[in-house]
Amino acid sequence: MREHLERIGNADIVIGIPSFNNARTIGHVVRAIHAGLAKYFPEHKAVIVNSDGGSTDGTMDVVHNSSIEDFNSILLHHRVEPVSKIAFPYSGIPGKGSAFRTIFEIAEVLGAKACAVFDSDLRSITPEWVELLVTPILKGGYDYVSPLYHRHKFDGTITNSIVYPLTRTLYGKRVRQPIGGDFGFSGSLAQFYLTKDVWQTDVARFGIDIWMTTTAIANGFKVTQSFLGAKIHDAKDPGADLSSMLYQVVSATFELMETYAEVWLQVHGTEPVPTFGFEYTVGLEPVNVNTARMLNTFREGIRNLGDIWLDILGAGDFGEIERLGALPDSEFHFPAGLWVQVVYDYALAYHKRKMPVEHLIKSMTPLYIGKTASFILQAKDMGQMEADAEIEKLCQEFENRKHYLVTNWK
Amino acid sequence: MEDFINLILDPLKELFLKFKVFVPNFLAMLVILFAGIVIALIIKRFLAKFLAAINFDSWSDRMGFTKLMRRGSMWSKPSAVLCEIVFWLMVIVTLMSGLSALQIPAIDQLVNQFFSYIPRLFSAAMILIIGYLLSGFISRTVLIAAANSGFHYAKLLAQAVHTMLIVLILAMIMEQLHIAPSIVLAAFSIVFGGIVIAIAIAFGVGGIDAARRIIEKEASQKRDERQRDEIDHI
Repeated sequence: MREHLERIGNADIVIGIPSFNNARTIGHVVRAIHAGLAKYFPEHKAVIVNSDGGSTDGTMDVVHNSSIEDFNSILLHHRVEPVSKIAFPYSGIPGKGSAFRTIFEIAEVLGAKACAVFDSDLRSITPEWVELLVTPILKGGYDYVSPLYHRHKFDGTITNSIVYPLTRTLYGKRVRQPIGGDFGFSGSLAQFYLTKDVWQTDVARFGIDIWMTTTAIANGFKVTQSFLGAKIHDAKDPGADLSSMLYQVVSATFELMETYAEVWLQVHGTEPVPTFGFEYTVGLEPVNVNTARMLNTFREGIRNLGDIWLDILGAGDFGEIERLGALPDSEFHFPAGLWVQVVYDYALAYHKRKMPVEHLIKSMTPLYIGKTASFILQAKDMGQMEADAEIEKLCQEFENRKHYLVTNWK
Repeated sequence: MEDFINLILDPLKELFLKFKVFVPNFLAMLVILFAGIVIALIIKRFLAKFLAAINFDSWSDRMGFTKLMRRGSMWSKPSAVLCEIVFWLMVIVTLMSGLSALQIPAIDQLVNQFFSYIPRLFSAAMILIIGYLLSGFISRTVLIAAANSGFHYAKLLAQAVHTMLIVLILAMIMEQLHIAPSIVLAAFSIVFGGIVIAIAIAFGVGGIDAARRIIEKEASQKRDERQRDEIDHI
């Protein structure tokens, strides 16, 4: 790979695609990126880097063989600078973080001015995504571009009910999709990421998305977001365990609270970040959800995990949770204030190491399911705007109660 | 007459000689005891300060040791209890060392037996501590995993796992301490085997309908989940 990089010499733009067994979808992603570079950055030297986790389905072959054969069908003129492609297996701890680390290293070696990373299972990526994530870096002077998607009102519930409100309240910037997965960043920020000693920790395995966003905000880099349209990706693994997902995302967020406590303890209020891109409404497929089953899981949680919750939440809030459990499905409503207390109490329990981290955060799963079921019941007849307004109300509640977190953080 | 006097004096002389030998040994024992107790007191005080510095009581709360002590009607702080245990262990070791200074064969044998038993006692204590921590960790893992999948009997299942692990640990400790090893092994086999057979009979014969209902409910829930859950949480 070193020889390959020496041959390339330098590049203005590096686009990274982490992958693991994504042969079915990565071809489309590579072609969209290729077209985006040709269309919007014809004068810039660009490199597409596929950092692979040891795929056995020929993912890297697909990357090598994917390109736009007939540019005339999509562009009026051909690009001037050719696009190089590198596909190789990364080394280190298996995980998206290690894949990103290698992309940062390549960006540093090539002296890239702007970089972007895209998930390899995207189905809705268009050439415009490249422009929307790279232009604010190259021409706007920004260091970090977060994605902004239109998603179904019931999708992204961990983001909507925990990660977005918490990150926004802690660090004061309203970055709507802090764990979106597709980001743009400057070459200097990539170098800054490499100086951090996190590549042997969980960041290398999972939690790289929230780590990148939080590190950029907490260290004062210029942050913005770009509207990309709808995010549709490959059907997720049906065997993927919700509590494991919750553990990965929430533990990474809580760990960053430890790292940047000195920063967020001083932050008061929040402010919006500039948004690029033309916002438009997109048709989204309807989503089926079984709220009865979700509420059953919540009630089983009260029955079985009551002792743990009592220890973490205290008698007052746990009493409220028990009261919710006794409500019929039609009247079930998880108040925003109570949910904020739950999240803050879990963050404090993590800070005080009340129990092993995995036990602590996985024990939150039925509470999260209860909150999600409540939102689905509440928002089932709402339009997208009204559902967004509910998320905004939740964020306000997080902000209003931040003093509780600050006061109890020792 | 002289013979008669010797007959009386000889045992007294012998007693005096024995006493002459015994007194220094006895004094040595007292010195060892005194020094040992003073050292034990100093170590106890240092240990108390060390445990306070590392927040041992908070750690014990988190690990469930405090709760376990309260169940056994022990209301002192865990750090104080540990200090007392260490202190009395040192006093016992000092006492045994002091007794061996008397150089009485019967006591020497007892002391030797005691010291050869210490490694077993130590490994039994380690099995108890590690086993207790591990059983708590495993049963809580089972509890959370079962509760998160909506299993109605999660608590019961976790308690059953905990009880079985404690039985296993107690059997290992008894075996380590050489307390009626053959009886312990037999009792353990009978109890463990009995539990497994009881569960097999309960599910296989007595509770066949209940078992079917539980399995069907679980299967239908999983089917339900696969068919209907389409939201993307991240």
